[in-house]
Amino acid sequence: MSFRFLFAMAAAKLSRAVIRLFGRDGSCTPGIIAIRLCPDFLRHLKMPDKVICITGTNGKTTTSNLVAGIVRDLGYTVTNNSLGSNVQGGVATALLADSTLTGKPKKQVAVLEVDERSSLLVYKYITPDFLVCNNIMRDSLKRNAHTDFIAYILGSALSEKTHVILNADDFICSSLFPKCLSRTYFGISADRPDSDRISSRDIVYCPDCGTRLHAEYVRFDHIGRIYCPGCLKKSPEPDYCVTEIDASRDVFKIRHGGEEREYKLVNSNIVNLYNFCGAVAVLTEAGFDPDKVCAAFNAQKIVKSRYDFIEAGKLSITTQLAKGQNPVACARAFSYIASLPKKNKCVLVMTDDKHDNTNNSESVCWIYDTDFSALRDDSISEIIFAGKRCRDQRLRAVIAGVDPRKIRINDDLFEGAKMIDTDKYSDIYVLHDPYILSETGMIKNYLIERGKANED
Amino acid sequence: MKIEILFSEVCNQFGDPQNAEYLKQSCPSDTFVYTALDEEPCFASSRPDMVIMGSMSESIQRKVILKLLPLKKRIEDLIDDGVVFLMTGNAADVFCRKIDYVTEKITVDAVGLFDIDVKTDWFKRVNSKVIGDADGNTVTGFRSQFAEYSGDNSEFCFLKVERGFGFRPGHMYEGMRKKNFIATQLLGPILPLNPDFCKYLIDIAGGNGSPAHYELAKEAFDKRVAEFRDPSTEF
Repeated sequence: MSFRFLFAMAAAKLSRAVIRLFGRDGSCTPGIIAIRLCPDFLRHLKMPDKVICITGTNGKTTTSNLVAGIVRDLGYTVTNNSLGSNVQGGVATALLADSTLTGKPKKQVAVLEVDERSSLLVYKYITPDFLVCNNIMRDSLKRNAHTDFIAYILGSALSEKTHVILNADDFICSSLFPKCLSRTYFGISADRPDSDRISSRDIVYCPDCGTRLHAEYVRFDHIGRIYCPGCLKKSPEPDYCVTEIDASRDVFKIRHGGEEREYKLVNSNIVNLYNFCGAVAVLTEAGFDPDKVCAAFNAQKIVKSRYDFIEAGKLSITTQLAKGQNPVACARAFSYIASLPKKNKCVLVMTDDKHDNTNNSESVCWIYDTDFSALRDDSISEIIFAGKRCRDQRLRAVIAGVDPRKIRINDDLFEGAKMIDTDKYSDIYVLHDPYILSETGMIKNYLIERGKANED
Repeated sequence: MKIEILFSEVCNQFGDPQNAEYLKQSCPSDTFVYTALDEEPCFASSRPDMVIMGSMSESIQRKVILKLLPLKKRIEDLIDDGVVFLMTGNAADVFCRKIDYVTEKITVDAVGLFDIDVKTDWFKRVNSKVIGDADGNTVTGFRSQFAEYSGDNSEFCFLKVERGFGFRPGHMYEGMRKKNFIATQLLGPILPLNPDFCKYLIDIAGGNGSPAHYELAKEAFDKRVAEFRDPSTEF
């Protein structure tokens, strides 16, 4: 163990204490300091008994929180970065915070959410025992470019010793890490869609032989059961499979190894079903008792920063994360809201990038890469686009076929929220970017007050 | 008017397909032909009025070059005949002289309409904005690219840059143009983002459509232009 590492550890721990003294969470800076002082800082840290990493375009935080929550409920101590940063500095901060000054772990299990772009920097020093990859989809075009690029980075980074847990229904994801021989797949066979049209824009031809791919069915984008009529490559069979989704009883079932267990349906969004199944798969493969995992799963909730539902008077208020710059996440959020069995919905869309719009003018290309067509749904009566890019969002929605008469815009988030007619609408949906959680909270409180006032 | 959209099933990154969608809504009575990568382009055997191609991954880019390289003479003839081409994002790179894929350690000869060389490095991502003038039209746009360009396009640029940059920081000539062949590194939604430029493009192609949802598009455009010209806006 080098003096450099010990010095970096001491400095980072001290910086964390000082930052927390000022009321900040210090979820990234201490790690950055440690790596600045000792570039291979992560290499010197001793890892907990089990290291589980979660990556992929969408669902990392939900899955990571779920896995960490279940492991804690099973009685283990957990190092986790889900409330902080998922880049190299955030991973280092989470680990050093739960290590002794000499780098020994204080916790039994590490559950680390790792940004795909940071994979090269993290997996160079850390070999996870298990890695869950939820999906590989389009993401921020500025950072993540395209899926080929992200697949290249992930594929270059990971040790072949890691046991990978992959989404069988994502043809890009399931093909990752070919050198990793320990492979487990998860997927969904329930509610099989009728569509066999590949709507993917990212995988159309077979990566092995170049033949145009076909599909048994497609849920969205390239998520479904896909096969190549040329070389016969096909989506792998899931080892963990969601076989039944019963929204009326709020339960779903996962089949594994001939056994089927029933779990509480915390949220019916299909993307979350994949997250849930991935979480159950990794915990079972990591050796946790499946019956205890099932019991602990049923006590979990999705963190409110991702999804929340409140009833205030006659108002039903749903807040749903719709990550700006991320075309698939936003399109899925639109689709989810449209699919809910309610009428006369009012949707407030706040997906601008707060940072990109500060002394800047955000690239709007991602808005044009996002499928807005779900907002045409008859159940949606009014859409309010709020934020600096509201005019671009409105134009994109109209090009997608949304009736312009049901769209209103406002440059200001709060003024946009005030445009909601709470006498006219009782079902209100607030779609928000992850970087405006405080603003979303204030708007949620404002709507709750309005709901209570209406009741009076 | 006949408009051919090349390889839209794979050349569809970064919102670029919305160029074709916006044109379809702007010219509803015109004919749109979608050609897949495993098909022969229509322009090889008949004269379209406009050809459009959008951004793609680098592996697809190499396949597109293989597809279009044998059609170089035909493309040159159509350019001489005044056919409009709109190549956005890294579709523009396909018509440069060569592309050096640094990360993948591959170098390929591209179609070679322009004496410009491209170096594509997956660990150097460039994001920026541009406002400039194209034949009297103010054009705004965004770039997100791995590519660096070397060569002099000052005599055949697409845009004279007002703010932002062209081939590299400090360089004021963006993209390439030969008659009505336009190759720009700006990303695809360039037509809905710039409704007056869309009208210009329809006009030079001989069409008589007008930009769809013009007032909504113009309002968004005016707001963007004001932001781009605001000295406090960072580029």
